[in-house]
Parts: sequence; C-alpha cells; structure tokens
Amino acid sequence: MRFGAIFLIALPIAAQHGRYVSESQHPAIGDPKAIAEGAKLYATSCTGCHGPDGSGGRGPNLVKRSLWHPLRDEAIYNAIRNGVPGTDMPPTKLPEDQTWNLVAFLHALIGPASDNSVPGDAGAGEQVFWGTKAGCSNCHSIRGKGGRMGPDLTNIGGSSPLAVIKESVLEPSKDLMFLGNEGATVTLKSGKTMKGIARNRDNYSLQLIDEKGELHLLSMSDVKELKILDHSPMPGDYRQRLSQDELRDLLAYLSRQVARPRGTIRKANN
Amino acid sequence: MTRSALTAFLISACASAQVSFEDISKGPSENWLTYAGSYPGWRYSPLKQITPANAKLMSPKWVYRVPDARGLRMSPLVYKGVMYITNTNAVYALDARSGRLVWQYRDARAKGGGVNRGAAILGDRVYFTSSDNYLTALDRQSGALIFSRQFADVEKGTTSTSAPLIVKDKVIVGSAGGDGGMRGFIAALSAANGDEIWRTWTVPAKGEPGSETWSGFAEWGGGATWLSGTFDRETNTLYWTTGNPWPDFAGTPRLGDNLYTCSLLALDLDTGKWKWHFQFTPHDTHDWDAQSWPILLDMEFRGRMRKVVLHANRNGFFYVLDRITGEFLRGTPLIDKVTWASGIDDKGRPVLIPGKDPTPEGNWVCPSVKGATNWMGQSYNPTTGLLYVLTLEQCGMYNSSSQEPVPMKNFAGGGATEEGGQVLLRAIDPKTAKRAWEYPMTGAGRMWTGTVSTAGGVVFTGDDDGQMLALDAKTGKLLWHFNMSETLTASPITYAVDGKQYVAIASATAIFSFGLFEPAEPLTPPKVTFGK
Repeated sequence: MRFGAIFLIALPIAAQHGRYVSESQHPAIGDPKAIAEGAKLYATSCTGCHGPDGSGGRGPNLVKRSLWHPLRDEAIYNAIRNGVPGTDMPPTKLPEDQTWNLVAFLHALIGPASDNSVPGDAGAGEQVFWGTKAGCSNCHSIRGKGGRMGPDLTNIGGSSPLAVIKESVLEPSKDLMFLGNEGATVTLKSGKTMKGIARNRDNYSLQLIDEKGELHLLSMSDVKELKILDHSPMPGDYRQRLSQDELRDLLAYLSRQVARPRGTIRKANN
Repeated sequence: MTRSALTAFLISACASAQVSFEDISKGPSENWLTYAGSYPGWRYSPLKQITPANAKLMSPKWVYRVPDARGLRMSPLVYKGVMYITNTNAVYALDARSGRLVWQYRDARAKGGGVNRGAAILGDRVYFTSSDNYLTALDRQSGALIFSRQFADVEKGTTSTSAPLIVKDKVIVGSAGGDGGMRGFIAALSAANGDEIWRTWTVPAKGEPGSETWSGFAEWGGGATWLSGTFDRETNTLYWTTGNPWPDFAGTPRLGDNLYTCSLLALDLDTGKWKWHFQFTPHDTHDWDAQSWPILLDMEFRGRMRKVVLHANRNGFFYVLDRITGEFLRGTPLIDKVTWASGIDDKGRPVLIPGKDPTPEGNWVCPSVKGATNWMGQSYNPTTGLLYVLTLEQCGMYNSSSQEPVPMKNFAGGGATEEGGQVLLRAIDPKTAKRAWEYPMTGAGRMWTGTVSTAGGVVFTGDDDGQMLALDAKTGKLLWHFNMSETLTASPITYAVDGKQYVAIASATAIFSFGLFEPAEPLTPPKVTFGK
C-alpha cells in the first residue's frame, strides 16, 4: 500500500501515545475520509508554522509536545477555531465540519503509528529490518527474536507516533536521552574489556548487556576504566544506508508492531 | 585469575544459563525460582549463613523504591544475582546485590489496577499476568517482550493477581474477582506461546455434578483462584485452593454447599482433570476463602507414614488431608477463639453453631472476615519439623443486606468489620497440631506478611507494626528487628549472591534486602570518560 498522505484506518484503539488522553465521540475521529480531508487542510493551512509532519518550526512541534497537560480532541478543536491568545496562532474561519476533519487528522498524526495506515510495504520492511544491510535486528528484538542491546521494538507501533519512530531511525542522537541505553566500554582491573550497553550504572555498580546480549552485573570496585559514548550507539547513517523506499517500508513494518493485537481472547472464556 | 576477574567470569557464565523444571524442582538454593520457593510450598531455604548466633548483626543492604507502589503484595524471585519483582502491570529486574534497576516492563495498555503477587521464571523468560488477564513473557536479561496473550475476559468479572506457577512446559494461572461475582477457573497455558492447554472451572455449569449445590447464582458463584498452588511431582498433581461463594455475605440466594468454593482441588497436571476435592467451608457466608498454602509433606500420622497436605484455613481450623485420596485426617482449631463451629466432624465437615450467619443488625462472629490466617506465605522447616503460620485472633460484626445482588457491582450481600485483635506467629507441629511456640505482635491486625525459614535455624517475617523480624526457628526467640515503618503485606524470601546470604521483603512501597553487617570497603570510583 502506498499513499501520498497519512490517513487512518478504522480506529478501534484510542490513541494512547503519552499525553493524548481523550477518546472523542465525534464521528470524524478515526474516519479515513475525514482524515484525508484534514490532511489536505493541514497541508495548505498549517505546515507553514507546524511543519509538514507536525514536527514544528515557527509554531510548536505537535507530535513531541513540550507541554505535559492532557490533550483532548475538543481542546485541539477550540485552539483551531479560536486561536491561542497571546501567540501567533490565529483563529480560523473554518466551518465546524472542516475543523473536525483537521482535528481527526491531528489525532491520527499524534496517536500511535499502529492506529494509522502508514505508507509503505510492511513485508518489504520486514526484510529490511531482519536483513544485514540495515542490521536492525543485531541490536533490537521483536517478539523475542533479535539482539538485546537496543530497546525492544515489539510494541513500537503501538506506543509511538510515526514521526517519533522516523526521527529515532534517522536522528537517533537528537534527544540525547540515553539513560539505560548508553554505549559503554568497560576495562576491568583484570585487564578484560567488555563492550555493550550500560542499562544502569552509578559509582558503585554497573549493569551491562554485552554485544552478545549477555547481562553482566559488575561491581565498580572491579572496574578500572569506563568509557561512555556521548551519542546514541545506534548508527546515524540510515539516510545514506537505506534507499527512500527501504526507509519507507521499514517505517511501515515498525508501525505495525503492536504488543497486544486485538481479538486474541479465546472463546473458552465465555 | 584474580578475584575480580573470577567474579566477572562467574557472573558472565551464569547470565547465559537457563532455568529448567529440574532447577525449580530442587527448591531454593542461592536462587528463589517460584513464589513459594518450592513445589511443595515450604518457603524453606537450605541457606545457613545467617544463624540465631549472628542474626543480631543483620543490617539493610539496599532499598529499591518501586514506582507507583502503594501496597506491594509480591514475593520476589531471584536467579543468578538478578531479582525479579512485580507491581500492578509491571515487572522490574534488579541487581540483587545492589538493588539497582536492570530493566523494567510496564504495560501501559493494561486495564484496571489491583494487586500483583509476583512473577514466574522458566528458560530465558520471566512471566507475569496483568490485571486484565494477559499472560506476558519477557526476556530475562533484557526485559524485551516475547508474547502477551489474554486468557480471560475482564468483562466477565475476572482479573488476575496471583503469581503464575510454572510446572514443566505449562504456566498455571488463576482467576481473581470473586467478591464481585465471576466464575473461577484454573488454566494451564503453554510456556512457549501462551496457548491454552486446559481450563478447569471451579464452579459447575448447570447440570454438571455439583450444580445441585446451588439454588442460584452459580454462574456468578465465585470460587476464585487468586493464590498460586503447589505441585506433587511424584503423582503429577496440582493442589489449588478456591475462594468464597458470591454474594459473599448473602447465603439465601445460593442455598446449598456451593461446590467447589472454599475448597482444595487436586488436579492432574497434564489434563486439568479432577482427582479429588475437599470443601473446608460448605455454604460459606463469612468470606472465608480457602486461599492459604496447601503444604505437601510426608509425615508420620497415627503410627504410619502418610503423604499429607496441610492447610491452615481462614475459617479458624488447621486441616491435615491425605493428599493422594483427599481423605480427611484431622481438623483442629488454629486459633483460640472460633465461635461459628464447635469443631470438625470425622468426615471433615464443620459442626455448626446455629445463628452465626450475617444478620441485618449484625452478628458478632470469630474469626473476623480477615480470617484466622490468610494467603500470607507459611513456612515448613524440615530441620525443626515445625510449620510457621501467621494467625490473627480477631472477631467481627457480619451484616447482611436485603439489596438484590448485582454481579460485577461489587455488591457482596452485606459487609463485615474487623475489630481489634492480635496477630501471632505460631510454630505448629503438624504431627500433633500442638503449638511449639508463639510470638505475639503489637499492631492493628492489618498485616499480610508471610514467613521464610532456613537451614540456619532462623524464621524471617514481618510484624503487624511494620517491623522486619528474625526469630529463632526452634524457640521463637526474637533475634533481630528492623523498623520498615509501613504496613507489611508481602512475604519474605532469602537468596545468596557471591556467597553472601540476603533476606528480601517488600514493604508497601519498596523492596528491602538485608544481610549480615560488613564494614564498607573504601572504593575509588573508576575513571569514567565520555567520547566518540
């Protein structure tokens, strides 16, 4: 499936990404038609300030919001209709139904990627993920297969918006939040050297997953030297390493990774 | 090889090891691999570094504050220096020497709250259940998700609180929610992928044997199975207890014995088929779930060796049954004040004292709704031959209500109070049911702490005032105490890393680990550099 614009399939799962807490009853929310209409409106009216993918510019980033107050569909609706006083966000003169189309699009953009029909061939993306060119599975696991060094991606589509997944692939060091995922090289007093990920550390102990995925619980009294990477251990060259199609397909595959697929309950419980 | 290199090598070698059924069968060692420590449910460890002679030197080694915890009821697992603990819909792996977090898994999509009693471990996986009945398997070393499968419908009133019990290739899970109306079950799920292998209902469907013991409400009749069971490897039998009938305090809408609530079930591991059952409290109207550990023991009884199961019951009596046949052998008072039954007859049925059901104006009955004991872990110590049971001497007012019972509205057909009373740790000789000693506690009767006992001759428990205790297993003499300053609602374990014995317990909000005092060694933190 290849689509020019992001749009949403039927929305059985309420958007649960981080701070987006509301489950609006408005029929536009989750309606693919409304979302497609909203995407057009967004492209013409909003990208100038909020960026084509919602990542911000003159206006705030809509996907990775800096404010931690709960966000609701109704609040987005009111912000679009009335603007935000004291800022450059103007009131719009959009009719009610079009405003709701725009809200539906934003809801889809901010919600987990698995709620959206992300463009790309997930089957081809699966090959990219498990293949040697990208090498994702050397460090990341999905459903118990793959490496242990990087974060588990079994629920990445169920927990993160597409824009966040994309940024993590292309610019892994952007956020500088590596706690629990620090690249580390340890030299023990015995002379032995280990490389891996520091899952945790303080001045007294170190919990390290090595390159083979084995966990080591080390006492700092046994450690001679510890080198910590000042950037994410994830390669930062995926824009060059993968073609645009491969990247798109990889994102489509990752977006479909959900820990709790619907409809798994068995009949026996009735 | 230097000591530090050897340590690093050993830990590294251990990390790739796998937990097998044989490992769990052997019972506790330096590891603690299942909720009750061993399949017979003894909560007994062969560790003996801490003894009555040196327990006075115990001190806290570390504390881990569990995020969002309010009333932890979990018993930790330990394997090769890593401790696995749970809170509601969450698992944490800790470095068991330092209490530092290795990984955490929090299921943000899980619906509902409720307590969680712990995890299970097999192979390279850690298992736990969420409050909305998903069995989740995680990679032991990284916390990565392997599968998450739902085994029961939360919309039918069922939730999940117990630690799974892993036997061979099966993960045995129970069901909670019996105070709100539901139908209890025990299910065996595949450890490989969560597939259901069998499911045994604890309340019969219409027309099935036992259904004649319900005049109504059997479809919501409870019999929840919210505590893990025990397992007899020799006979391939699971022993599992069931909870109260629903509505809890209203007996009239459900006349009859209400099988198989407040019972002990013996089930075949491979098929889930019934071997026998024993009902402790027929037609319970006091919320006396039978959730207390069925402890498996081979012991001399009236001159001959018997394979027995011990059960200290919430209803105030201490039972001994033949675990092969289910034959009732003995029922004696567990506590001093029992007012609803004058004893247990020779078939195992309580001899009722009339007029003890809940009434609209309230009926004063002993024991209280909290029971003479409850789900807290008991310990059987083969070196002393004693069973250590936390008991509660408490009475309460039981009220009935004329309101129509409505399933899943948490209407229990009345209510009950818990008033005053006292918790006492009692050491009981199971051969005679006589008390060897008892340790009375101060407090408000709110604790749910269990025990662990050791080959070193020490019983560890918590008291009713938030203190961690070490007692002499032979005499009950207090050896050491430490004020944890929170109501204790979890059972302790003991484990060892690098040859050092630790004792760990959850307070309401944190995990504490204790060991023998050692002077701090000067440590110069190593050189840490940041770069490319």
